[in-house]
Amino acid sequence: MKKDKQIKEFAKKLLRLSLDGEDLSPERVDGVLQALSKNPPRHHLAVLKEYLKLVQREIAKATAVVTHAGSLSPAAIDAIRSRMTAKYGRSISVVASEDPSLIAGLRVVVDCDVYESSIASALSSLQTSLS
Amino acid sequence: MSSVIEQIEQQIASLQTKTVQSNTGSIIQIADGVAKIEGLSEVMYNEMIEFPGGTIGIALNLEEDEVGCVILGEASHLKQGDEVKCTGKLLSVPVGKGLLGRVVDALGNAVDGKGDVDSNESYPVEKIAPGIIERKSVDQPLMTGIMAIDSMIPIGRGQRELIIGDRGTGKTTIAIDTIINQAKINKVGEASGDPNFRPVYSIYVAVGQKNANVARTIGVLEETGALDYTIIVTAPAADSAANQYLAPYTGAAMGEYFLQNGMDALIVYDDLSKHAAAYRQMSLVLKRPSGREAYPGDVFYLHSRLLERSARVNEDNGNGSLTALPIIETLAGDLSAYIPTNVISITDGQIFLETDLFNQGIRPAVSVGLSVSRVGSAAQLKVTKQVAGKTKLELAQFRELAAFAQFGSDLDAKTKAQLDRGTRIVELFKQPAFNPIPIEQQAVVMWAMQNNFFDDVGVPKMVEASVSLREFFVDRKEALLTSIREKAKIDDELAGQLKEAVGEWKSTFDL
Repeated sequence: MKKDKQIKEFAKKLLRLSLDGEDLSPERVDGVLQALSKNPPRHHLAVLKEYLKLVQREIAKATAVVTHAGSLSPAAIDAIRSRMTAKYGRSISVVASEDPSLIAGLRVVVDCDVYESSIASALSSLQTSLS
Repeated sequence: MSSVIEQIEQQIASLQTKTVQSNTGSIIQIADGVAKIEGLSEVMYNEMIEFPGGTIGIALNLEEDEVGCVILGEASHLKQGDEVKCTGKLLSVPVGKGLLGRVVDALGNAVDGKGDVDSNESYPVEKIAPGIIERKSVDQPLMTGIMAIDSMIPIGRGQRELIIGDRGTGKTTIAIDTIINQAKINKVGEASGDPNFRPVYSIYVAVGQKNANVARTIGVLEETGALDYTIIVTAPAADSAANQYLAPYTGAAMGEYFLQNGMDALIVYDDLSKHAAAYRQMSLVLKRPSGREAYPGDVFYLHSRLLERSARVNEDNGNGSLTALPIIETLAGDLSAYIPTNVISITDGQIFLETDLFNQGIRPAVSVGLSVSRVGSAAQLKVTKQVAGKTKLELAQFRELAAFAQFGSDLDAKTKAQLDRGTRIVELFKQPAFNPIPIEQQAVVMWAMQNNFFDDVGVPKMVEASVSLREFFVDRKEALLTSIREKAKIDDELAGQLKEAVGEWKSTFDL
């Protein structure tokens, strides 16, 4: 239990070193990794796994994953980016991919928050309300 | 037809424009009915979490990077990586009069095969108890129909009276008798047409019980016609620990409906020992630190916040009440164990049932010395005070003398008389299960005892004499019983009539 706590604390310190202000900096991450490989800490693998988890979470916070059915114009992607950046108060990048199972509409995921306006979700909520 | 088309068009329009926002997470670990979830950054404590397939869970452990969630119901279809959603709602259950006569589970779903429950209102299962300003002191009686309790350990509306004893000493029977008695009083009161009559509705919460026992209880309530005034919340032994933990709070929420709407209700928690054990299991699986007897640190708060919800509120807040009869099972009569001492200190008194008395045939096996009601005579009718005021003292003296009499020395006439009287009172308090006695009949029997009408009845014939006297009054002196019930005291006129009637009975009874 104590070991896990120490690993988590250490990984958090590494994450703080990887941030440039509020945003994650690839150069700083590279620097952290180089320092770790030169001076491997105790429980090196566990520390790296914990660090990976924290970095993934940080990236998820700064990324809007947009899945859509049908085409999505660059203007729409820009609009999503600016709306999400304004809402969360940090720079958000957009990753778009097509998913025909949505039938129509789109789904935006930023970290834990999901914004969905698709026929598939509407049908599923209709099904839940009827059952 | 056009309205149907409009309806569909509206539905299409809403589908086109509606954006649903949700806070999600994913399962990282699931075992023993508990899921560890990553994400859910906006989850609230005790919030309902939606799992795939409509399964519901409650968020109980909010940690820095994960949420510990207890799953209510079937969890075998859930797997690591499944997406879960916050619902933004605290766990609520249906409440209202529509639940009377129904058997529901810990989530308020019907389990009696009579279809959905008829309720359009729901209350949160966790709620802060009424504060000091809203409360009023307990001063109205709640009749159990058990002579030994109504005369010596009176219970008031809004009181929390613990029923405690070893297994098989009749704890559940006392609770069921009380529920049956409320139903009987309700029926008489409703038939009388008295606008000031306040019925008492009952809620029986079965935690960790065998299904067969719950079915037997339901059968008894149905047979006696008490089920119509009763809600049964069941989380049997086969249910998950989470459901067993939740069931008493569900019952309390249903009771609060009556309390907050100016009605009176009685709730029986059968039993809180199993409830504490279920909470211990859940806490250990959630990896909360354990304390004495491996119970978590907040096991006192588990019961205190539940029992504090039973209260009598003042006229400004509807004048309702919720009376609680929690049950605790002891091991080998050990009252000093962790959970019994906790609940004894929370409640306003306890009815202690002894195995020895039960085995001697003294049933209900109420130990008069160890049982107490801290509300006391404030919640006793004047008629009961008149006829039973001295009984507890007489019984205490009897026990003291009986201990000395065991030495076998010669006894003077006065001591012998006291011993005889004590033996007769003990016999008088014997009562079969599921047969509560109305207060006016209790008063007649106790009055006859106080006025020495039983002194020449042989001790083995005391129970028979008591039954015979009550039958005589029911069959031939109904008007006198009604006067006692309505006046709720014995004045000189009633005392004269009683003397005459009991004398008449005695002439017919074969001593």
